[in-house]
Amino acid sequence: MCDIIWCKEDVGGKPCNTVNYLDPYCFWNWEGTVNCAECGTVYYIYMIQGHMYKGPEKRPGEKPDTSPLYADKPLEGYTNYSPGVEGRTRPFQCLPRDIYLGVPDMVKFSIRGRPVRGWRPQPPDGGIAGSYPFNWDIKRLSPEVWEEYQEKLKKGEVKEW
Amino acid sequence: MAKDPRVTRLEDLPGPKSKEELEEMKMPYEEYCRAKFDPGNEFGKPQSLKGIRWLSTTMYIFTPHSVSNLAELGAEVIKVEMPRMGDPMRHCAPFNETYLYPLHDTRPMTGTGMGYLNANPNEYHITMDYHLDEMKEAFYSLVKMSDGLTECYRPGTFDRWKQSYRYLIEMNPRFIYVWGGGFGYGPKVFGGSYDILGQAHAGLASVTGFHETFGGHATKHSNWCIDWYSGTQITFGILAALHWRRKTGLGTMIEFSQVQAATRCLGYAAPLYGRFGIVRQRWGNWDTQLCVHGIILCGKSDYPDAKNPQDKYDARYAMVSAFQDEDFKELCAITGKNELYEKYKAHKDRVEGESQVEIYAALEEWAADKSRSEVVKILQDAGLLAEPVMNDREVYECEHYRMRGTIRWQDDPVFGDILAMGSYSSGLMEKTPRRLYWIWRPVGADNVKIYHELLGYPTKQIEEWYEKAMI
Repeated sequence: MCDIIWCKEDVGGKPCNTVNYLDPYCFWNWEGTVNCAECGTVYYIYMIQGHMYKGPEKRPGEKPDTSPLYADKPLEGYTNYSPGVEGRTRPFQCLPRDIYLGVPDMVKFSIRGRPVRGWRPQPPDGGIAGSYPFNWDIKRLSPEVWEEYQEKLKKGEVKEW
Repeated sequence: MAKDPRVTRLEDLPGPKSKEELEEMKMPYEEYCRAKFDPGNEFGKPQSLKGIRWLSTTMYIFTPHSVSNLAELGAEVIKVEMPRMGDPMRHCAPFNETYLYPLHDTRPMTGTGMGYLNANPNEYHITMDYHLDEMKEAFYSLVKMSDGLTECYRPGTFDRWKQSYRYLIEMNPRFIYVWGGGFGYGPKVFGGSYDILGQAHAGLASVTGFHETFGGHATKHSNWCIDWYSGTQITFGILAALHWRRKTGLGTMIEFSQVQAATRCLGYAAPLYGRFGIVRQRWGNWDTQLCVHGIILCGKSDYPDAKNPQDKYDARYAMVSAFQDEDFKELCAITGKNELYEKYKAHKDRVEGESQVEIYAALEEWAADKSRSEVVKILQDAGLLAEPVMNDREVYECEHYRMRGTIRWQDDPVFGDILAMGSYSSGLMEKTPRRLYWIWRPVGADNVKIYHELLGYPTKQIEEWYEKAMI
């Protein structure tokens, strides 16, 4: 966690005392509003490099942009809100925000446009005891890549260097 | 009267017979070299080590590379790997990204990483769990019909498995046994090693990198230079052993310490201490014996608009050499630093540490408003030696490499389009050139070829071994 919001909002005559944990994957460089998991108070924060540059500033009446990942109440034993509680905490999906989501790019062609066996899974092609032939029959094993290669040839995208 | 043997007739000698013929036979040097080495057509030429069969029970880079030199020169190398898993180096790739698939049919989502490249080319890859008693017969059969073996296990391991030198020499007196160890025999005999250990233990890292005065630290070469270097040293030992066997008919054992291999490329470091008590220090991109002879940083990149940071920011280094008095004078003249020449006319003056600091700083100041190419052009036009420090892309696009054939595209039989460089860059030979048939093979790819075709085991036996994961 890069920071927390310890909510002190008065609820029924007592402070809320809920600690909302701000996970770094989402909040490291982030600006917006986040709700308290317990009482729903909306706070505005501005995070730069994990440091809360502005806030937490109450924004009553506004809708929260997101929720904390986890929250608990350390002054009241082990009361907590696990990730994914509807309306309180954000689901934990093992993924950072979209800005950090790279799309894995399996390599099918070299820089000069010819097929290279850089993608997975490869269809099984071994013989007895895992023996492999001395020829990659790309047309039979990966016809979709072969077709793509033919298109590249027609468009003249296959170069010598 | 009998013909006088001392009389030489011009028409009997080889070569041109007249001036006109000489002119016709003349050929530009470049064309002559290209015709002799004939890059791209190595596969039709003989192979110097054809007929040699070698076993490679090795891992990583160091010991496999000692065998790869033999394989590229024509030896039939059999790489023995762990069933289903293969060499641990297969699972090593830059940033864990660059893999070629497949590794094995049972693991379609696993590939072999580019870290494995250049260490096992042209080799037949089989799998064998050779510490099992059931596989001993097959292993011994390979030993009996092979010329040698390279292994990298800790001392005593192969002996426990009854396949060390003293066992193998009994069944094949011509056998050449190579142990590529970490520290060799001595107090650290059981220590394993990696490349970085060789760089550290032998002291290479202590003289690499910038001096602390310039904010530097001891530096490890980013690729495994000691692995490659020490592996090549073993290859020379193997070639010497092969030659010795031609004289005596007997095999021999080669014992090698990887961590001490770096002492050879350290040159005078330890002898210098022995004679003069001087401990060598780090000196970065400069030279302790010559000045000017180093790498300087220019102010502008050659590719300011490129997206790749390697091009956009780092394409600014240039190698400059002007260590002779006349060259240094010329360098000072064209850079407008004539006061430097007046101050450091003699070699003994400018080679001092303080002098170099001043000289190189002045050169970098002169180059602060120029790009790398501009600096190189100015210096080359003046007759001085200068060259840009090229990155990988520039090496790929360099016409010099392409013309010599030391970088080229090849169609690997299993993995498709492959850019080959390491093999052909290791020296051109006219009669028996190095060549690359394939970069590597999947795990167990040649099990049938070796066990069935070479050793004669029936395929049913091979399948049984395979089911039991013994191969």
